[in-house]
Amino acid sequence: MKTEPTLQTRREFLRSTVLTSALSWTVPGFLANTFASLQAQAADSATQIATGRDSTILVILQMAGGNDGLNTVVPFANDYYVKSRPRLALKGDQVLKLNDSLGLHPALTGFKELYDAGCMSIVQGVGYPNPNRSHFRSTEIWQTAADADRFEKYGWLGRYFDNACSGCDPTVAIHIGRQMPQAFTAKTPKGVSLENPQSYRFISSERGGGGEDMMEQSFREMNEADDAGNSGGSITAISGPGMEMRGSALDFLERTALDAQISSDTIRAVSARTQNRVTYPASQLSNSLRLVARLIGGGMPTRIYYVSQGGYDTHTNQPGTQERLLRDLGGAVQAFMNDMKAQGNLGRVLLMTFSEFGRRVAENANNGTDHGAAAPLFVFGGKVKPGLAGTHPSLAPEDLVNGDLKHTVDFRSVYAAVLEGWLKTPSEPVLGRRFEPLGLLV
Amino acid sequence: MLKVLDPGRWDFTTAAHLLNRAGFGGTPDEIQRLVALGPAKAVSSLVDVERIPDPTPNPSWARPDPERLQRLAALRQASPEQRQQMQREEQQLQRERLLELRGWWLERMAKGPRPLQEKMTLFWHGHFATSFQKVRDAYYMWRQNDLFRRFGLGNWTRLLVEVGKDPAMLIWLDQAQSRRQHPNENFARELMELFTLGEGHYTEKDVTEAARALTGWSLNRQTQEFVYRRAFHDNGVKTILGRTGNFDGDDVIRILVAQPQAALFITAKLWTFFAGESPSPELNQALADVFRRNGNEFKPLLRALFLSEEFYSPHLIRQQVKSPVQWLAGSVRMLERDLPPAQVCANLLRTLGQDLFAPPNVKGWDEGFAWISTSTLLARYNYSALLAEGVMAAGEMANRPRAMAAGRRMANRARAGRTGAVDVRKILTDEERRDKTLLLGALQKRLLQSNLKPKQERALREYLESKGDLDDDEIRGAMRLIMSTPEYQLT
Repeated sequence: MKTEPTLQTRREFLRSTVLTSALSWTVPGFLANTFASLQAQAADSATQIATGRDSTILVILQMAGGNDGLNTVVPFANDYYVKSRPRLALKGDQVLKLNDSLGLHPALTGFKELYDAGCMSIVQGVGYPNPNRSHFRSTEIWQTAADADRFEKYGWLGRYFDNACSGCDPTVAIHIGRQMPQAFTAKTPKGVSLENPQSYRFISSERGGGGEDMMEQSFREMNEADDAGNSGGSITAISGPGMEMRGSALDFLERTALDAQISSDTIRAVSARTQNRVTYPASQLSNSLRLVARLIGGGMPTRIYYVSQGGYDTHTNQPGTQERLLRDLGGAVQAFMNDMKAQGNLGRVLLMTFSEFGRRVAENANNGTDHGAAAPLFVFGGKVKPGLAGTHPSLAPEDLVNGDLKHTVDFRSVYAAVLEGWLKTPSEPVLGRRFEPLGLLV
Repeated sequence: MLKVLDPGRWDFTTAAHLLNRAGFGGTPDEIQRLVALGPAKAVSSLVDVERIPDPTPNPSWARPDPERLQRLAALRQASPEQRQQMQREEQQLQRERLLELRGWWLERMAKGPRPLQEKMTLFWHGHFATSFQKVRDAYYMWRQNDLFRRFGLGNWTRLLVEVGKDPAMLIWLDQAQSRRQHPNENFARELMELFTLGEGHYTEKDVTEAARALTGWSLNRQTQEFVYRRAFHDNGVKTILGRTGNFDGDDVIRILVAQPQAALFITAKLWTFFAGESPSPELNQALADVFRRNGNEFKPLLRALFLSEEFYSPHLIRQQVKSPVQWLAGSVRMLERDLPPAQVCANLLRTLGQDLFAPPNVKGWDEGFAWISTSTLLARYNYSALLAEGVMAAGEMANRPRAMAAGRRMANRARAGRTGAVDVRKILTDEERRDKTLLLGALQKRLLQSNLKPKQERALREYLESKGDLDDDEIRGAMRLIMSTPEYQLT
């Protein structure tokens, strides 16, 4: 019963505001009201719930396809590296040097500036035991934080939602893209997925200009929750502790329809009324991060954003492809972090990259690299401990496992650090067991 | 338990429920025909599939490929650049065939004469959850699909043996590579955990022992057939679920199916799939008893299930969330329209979360509430414009050049002859098109087989009233509005 006032507020809000004046309302007031009441209910629990303006935000950036870590953070002075890659090895005078032995790929000027500004941590040698070399399966392992030989039903962020976000609005997590990442799958599904705000809505097929859109209006009325006081049962069922679905299928669908309408209206209004403060390069990844920046700047209560960039499966003619991808990546992330700084949100935002695996140490016969194991990942933000974290895996032939780098950091230690240090939630219930959090944050 | 349905309850609502769940729904006329047959004959008309002629031809490439051997040999001799080129061409070919295969199966579900056979094929596809992502061969995927169609209403042991020796499965769970020196446990484990018993009903030791017994089951990639490789097989003595002997793969399946839990496991999953909620222990025991009494045959089980009082409990009717496939195939059947082009259907199903031949993981799809998120619900609402009105809601097309091209072609055709839109005159009488009250009744009966809430009906009527005299476009708009409600997502 505790949460009933909240949904009541949302229902009233929907009836009184959305239906009468479409998008002319001011979002922050509405969000503040809703989330203030959620916060009040959660105050006695150990978990922290999003409050819009002041909570921390995590942005996940997936580099799909398996990025070649060795040509991203380059051990240019290492003999084994040079010998394993007669065609692909980058030389000391090409890379953007971090120290005497490591340098960033020359296209990563954006990363280099963030590194020098103390806003970037490079975590070296990230992987997991018994690495799987299938894109499909290894991505699943990263998304579900599972052991290589175990299948987990829910994603690691989904388990975070189940553990720490019961009662949250669905917009607690926003994925920019087409299909919800597996990391979001949860006992109680949370999060919304959208390619662009303009398609995340009911798109009326009413033809002809002028006049009001009768289809849109009828649609809203047909999807409006029942005003009769008969929904109390379902409200308790869907928002009680644990959030197990106990209501009927129709109750569930009606609630989702309501959530869809509110989040659609909110996201479109917030993204439309907020400006980016910096210029982004032209790319799909940049577009995604540009939208995330607008949503953050506009005060969305979202705690997790998820964006992705594909194309890293460089079996053939790697240099040109990787150059293009990394330039795009560096430019987009740099613009985004600068945008956060201009908004005054640099200290609230943490951006973490991952790729399902690195690539083999030795290049292949096609001027490319094949699926491998451990690789670096990158964490950005105003509160990261800048510099290098973890240790670089050895490239000595006797230290390789089937020709691959052996991981020095389990990716779940990175997740543990993010969960505990950034999202302020115990990591064991999410990760299934204890992983020592990596020292990533100041 | 498992009471027989009182024939007095056989009416439009219960007949519609049968057609929705045992198949993909149908038109008011088709439902009426089932009502007239009475429950026993109606169920027989769905279950006894071999009595229904099915002349649908298979895809032209759905056979072993005699040139494959030469292609593989050529690949081995090619230079790296040539090999790359050949591999790219092969991948492209397989992708094209996969698209054709998806369209071919959807056509069977949305239009075919044996809806229950296709529904069971869909069930088995979710149960054995094999993905093209790893198998990467459209012929193998078709072959497994066809296996489900041929054996899916037959005997449980036979089905499991066929699946175990199926090329796609041999690749999917790595059984093809399993040798006595290093038995691969993947298939043995999923056979127990996901296919026959469920977690907690076997030990780790049972898995490793079964993996030993299964060695030798392999794939001949030249002939594209199952092969028993004697040299791979572990001839030693194994102990599986308390039985000891020099077992092979067939023995493993025989031992598993003999477990009482094996019947309970599969009847519970089937009941959940068809009824929409898990069975009570008593009900499930009754179902398992029927299954056992009938020699582990699925057809008698399904006949009893579809004729049971329990299956028609009022709290089950119109309370199951439509899967994306059910939503698409069912809409096509109810609207008496053609399927959209294969590429459009593939995009639609991917967006709604049910990529055929590519289930998300070894556990298959989570049915039920998991189909629905704010995003997939809005996507259903927008795709209903495509099905009812033949227009692609513009925003859906963003960033999807191929879908956009296919959608534009369809929209152009739609504008030219409206082939992409519902033929309103085919499914509504002149009176229904003229009289708004008759129209509202006819649309609800066709699309929901029940009624909207009064408030929703009022809103729909307001929409119609605002249009004055109705043209076909506006009637299609009303269809789209009904499809854009929580109620339409249920069956």
